[in-house]
Amino acid sequence: MARTFQVGDTFTHVRQCDRLRPVYYAGASGDYNPIHIDPEVGKLAGFNGVILQGLCTLGWAVEAVAVFVGDPGLVRRVKVRFSRPVLPEDTVTFQGRVTAVADGRLTTEVTATNQRGEPVLRGAVVETSLG
Amino acid sequence: MALDPKFVGRAYGPFTYEIGREKLREFSLILGGSVPSAGTFGEPPAHVSPLLYSQEAAQAGPYGDVIAFPSFAVVFAIRPFSAAIADPELGVDRVRLVHGEQELEFLGVMRPGDVLTTTGQISELYRKAGMDFLVVTTETRNAKGEPVVRGVWTAVIRPA
Repeated sequence: MARTFQVGDTFTHVRQCDRLRPVYYAGASGDYNPIHIDPEVGKLAGFNGVILQGLCTLGWAVEAVAVFVGDPGLVRRVKVRFSRPVLPEDTVTFQGRVTAVADGRLTTEVTATNQRGEPVLRGAVVETSLG
Repeated sequence: MALDPKFVGRAYGPFTYEIGREKLREFSLILGGSVPSAGTFGEPPAHVSPLLYSQEAAQAGPYGDVIAFPSFAVVFAIRPFSAAIADPELGVDRVRLVHGEQELEFLGVMRPGDVLTTTGQISELYRKAGMDFLVVTTETRNAKGEPVVRGVWTAVIRPA
């Protein structure tokens, strides 16, 4: 487990939002806001249909870092701004970079962009314990 | 119409939640991309840590039992935020609401059987660029009274 991390280390994690993911995530999380499960409500809100829960996108950003450090139990903090919804059939690419390793903590900055190159998160920071 | 700043400090909760083993697995697998069907949460995708779903791997690992994926905390810690949004006296227009920002701090791992109590309060109400911002701060403690999760939840209410 004696893995070392350095400032500047990078990692990438790619997730597909399959067509029914907002419905599955609604069931798992309890977030049944109709904008995530009823296409008519999504259209009323100005989208083509449903949108993915922002907190699912947040979870994927955390997952990107958890996979990088190898243990989800080490994650200590996440902070994100939701800049654009993820839609069914979107592919989201998370790119992370270690910005600090100090005092038993690893700090990473994570970008998340859809297949059109548009950011879906801004200012995402995930911190982990070093174990 | 701007939200009335007199509601800053209004508290919601306490709300208590007991973590169930299968609910933890369900959340971890679905977030990870498994495809559920009747009776099963689906096959674990390769990138999902077995510490989140495999009893055998978890018992051999650092925590001794399966643990929650960190953002599982939203399942219960969202409650004061939901309560504020639904508070008729505050009067949030839910049709114009979007989740703007989210911060979560995890002070320890969460395991099956943990009994967690969440309280929250409106910490900020302000208007910026024609939009109303509602900020709810939450704290979740375990049965021993130790803090486990802290959250800062920001809703943005777009203009009519």
